[in-house]
Amino acid sequence: MADPNVPQQPPAAAPPAESSAPAEKTQAASAPAATPSSAQSGAPSGAPSSAPSGPSRGPSSGGYQGNRGPSRGPGGPGGGPGGRPGPGGPHKRGKRNYVRKKKVCRFCVDRVDYIDYKKADILAPFIQERGKILPRRMTGTCARHQRWLTVAIKRAQNIALLPFAAEF
Amino acid sequence: MEERLYDLIFICRPDTPEAEVDKLVATLEHTVADKSAKIEKIEKWGRKRMAYRVRKLREGFYVYMSIRSNHGELIKELERRLKVADPVIKYLTIRIDEEMKRQQKLAKHRERRAARRPRKPAPTSAPPAGEQTASAAG
Repeated sequence: MADPNVPQQPPAAAPPAESSAPAEKTQAASAPAATPSSAQSGAPSGAPSSAPSGPSRGPSSGGYQGNRGPSRGPGGPGGGPGGRPGPGGPHKRGKRNYVRKKKVCRFCVDRVDYIDYKKADILAPFIQERGKILPRRMTGTCARHQRWLTVAIKRAQNIALLPFAAEF
Repeated sequence: MEERLYDLIFICRPDTPEAEVDKLVATLEHTVADKSAKIEKIEKWGRKRMAYRVRKLREGFYVYMSIRSNHGELIKELERRLKVADPVIKYLTIRIDEEMKRQQKLAKHRERRAARRPRKPAPTSAPPAGEQTASAAG
């Protein structure tokens, strides 16, 4: 387990496997000198996506792909309230050093079925100071709720509950 | 025509005496009653600061009504009245019954799912029994 002889075998065996065993092997192969604790800390998020990219590349490039993979992974299905652990260990590459905090749709958390345009105080955090509606990527709102939210904000603007543009 | 639900909000000048607002509301009520529609709710929100200036005013007296009607003509008539009423500086009518329907549907869906969910993980020994009761309920 600690020193695998063939690093390319485990990824080819199970591409989207969620088991932590193959991930530990690839991590250990790319960095043999790494301590077991660091390899394990990188394992939970690096595990699913480093596996499929492994077989085509060598063990070292596999490590790179594994780093890029997890950061992109949660971004794609980010709308859903998935129970993903989040990008835990993108700490090998210089550029992508920050850890992105997972944003969750506030309306999904509160189980909102209807966004009331009359409650301006609920809508207020979703507009800029100048009156623009904030994009989804800033607020983390899911697509469905953003759709409803947009309608609600526009209605509220029409009845002067929210501004169209900031006043000077 | 099926029944529809409308929200009607209008803003009066902030210096309008409350009696006049009440009079206006009474005439609107009368109009609604004439068309055999129902007023579900009337709320006077009172003086509020508006988000932008309307007719050079910064504040307004908000009145909210919820009307259930199956007569589109009624809305036309109400809006005409609001347009000619002097103290009214702004009004808005929105049809919301479709969104309410959607909300009820989603709420029902969620309720049903919530009723089903706690049974599944708790009794691991007898899941078929829980499923049967759930299907019978639904």
